[in-house]
Amino acid sequence: MDDLDWGVVRRSWPILREATWTSIQLFFLSLVLATIVGLAVALMRMSSVRGVRWFAAIYIWIFRGLPALVILFFAFFWLGRELDLTPFQAAVLGLAASSGAYKAEIIRAGLLAVDRGQYEAAEALGFTKAHAMRKIILPQGVRVMVPNYMSNATLLFKSTSLAAVIGLTELTGRSRQLANSTFKPIEFLTAAGGIYLVLTSVLIVGQGFLERRFALKK
Amino acid sequence: MDWEFVREITPTILEGLSITLSLFAWSMVFSTIGGLVLALMRLSRIAPFRWFSAFYGWLLRGIPLLLILFYVFFALPEFGDAWTFPPFRSAVIGLSMWTAAYQSEAIRSGIISVDAGQFEAAEALGMTRFHYMRKIVLPQSVRIIVPPFTGNAINTMKQTSLATVITVPEMTLLAQRIIASEFKAVEPLFTLAIIFLILTTALVFAQAGVERAFRLKT
Repeated sequence: MDDLDWGVVRRSWPILREATWTSIQLFFLSLVLATIVGLAVALMRMSSVRGVRWFAAIYIWIFRGLPALVILFFAFFWLGRELDLTPFQAAVLGLAASSGAYKAEIIRAGLLAVDRGQYEAAEALGFTKAHAMRKIILPQGVRVMVPNYMSNATLLFKSTSLAAVIGLTELTGRSRQLANSTFKPIEFLTAAGGIYLVLTSVLIVGQGFLERRFALKK
Repeated sequence: MDWEFVREITPTILEGLSITLSLFAWSMVFSTIGGLVLALMRLSRIAPFRWFSAFYGWLLRGIPLLLILFYVFFALPEFGDAWTFPPFRSAVIGLSMWTAAYQSEAIRSGIISVDAGQFEAAEALGMTRFHYMRKIVLPQSVRIIVPPFTGNAINTMKQTSLATVITVPEMTLLAQRIIASEFKAVEPLFTLAIIFLILTTALVFAQAGVERAFRLKT
């Protein structure tokens, strides 16, 4: 083994920084979309219409049963070609579809944790179902959801690396490329690993903050 | 969708099934041993053991599996021939190291769920610590360990698909080759998805079965 050459990483820093930014954008866009999908599927799963409930259950079964990579391939090779999407857009859709199924279960668990009596009280007060959900059930359910939601978000952040397989030069893809072209795999893969560790640690700290923020005031 | 083509390529993709399954089986064996060792280290009275285990968990759970596989396959060989492994073995090493970090948490939470009074009782009976772990704690904690443990196993099954990026000819790689050579994506992805869905669904049923088997008899 030759001596490690960290200078090459320093010189490539602007490229790595840009790739990190791509990863962060991928993460935020797919997180927002996954949350919308998850909320919709969770509510459908609890619907009083049987067909809607089944649809949601099948969605969750399929998207949790498949590797995220396979879902990403569907988004890229099939949806991407049909709708003429960029690899970035396909990656966002694929990650959101996959993560949304997990989010749905987390959101549903949070909603189910809210005491049954709260639904009944809202009904007695003449709230419509949508109004009760938005004003009474969701705010209380959120507290239960936060820990699982955040650890799932951390998983999603790591899953953005899968976009490298469909050719996106986010952090993993770019560092692999740089490792290849400079013959410095240790330096670049370690650098990428360090950046991931910093960002996932930030998310874990953020989780602790949110949990305190949403904790019941004593 | 061209069903004739689906029938044609299914045997080709199924050729990768045995590799997918042996990736899964070997990773489960090594990650269970590794996870148990890490969990015991985390609970050890010797501080450096605790630190190592905590550091390992932070490191392996903070980095995407894809990057870990790249590291094993591309960066480790830089350290010399002793660190150079063929693709299949590299994938087993990466998957095992990654899964072990999650299994150690599952095992640790099971062990600490055993009432502390039992330790005192065992000590009073003159049991050694090792004997106490093996005869008293592990049999009781298995019940707590099973659900997160099998959840991690299902995850590992799905993540075997990542081995495609380091050229392990498991099912995902075979499907990708068909996409590249035939310019048709939907059919190979459909076949691949069905096989994975069958595998993960079977594991979910196995999980329920194991949980029933370990349930407390009342």
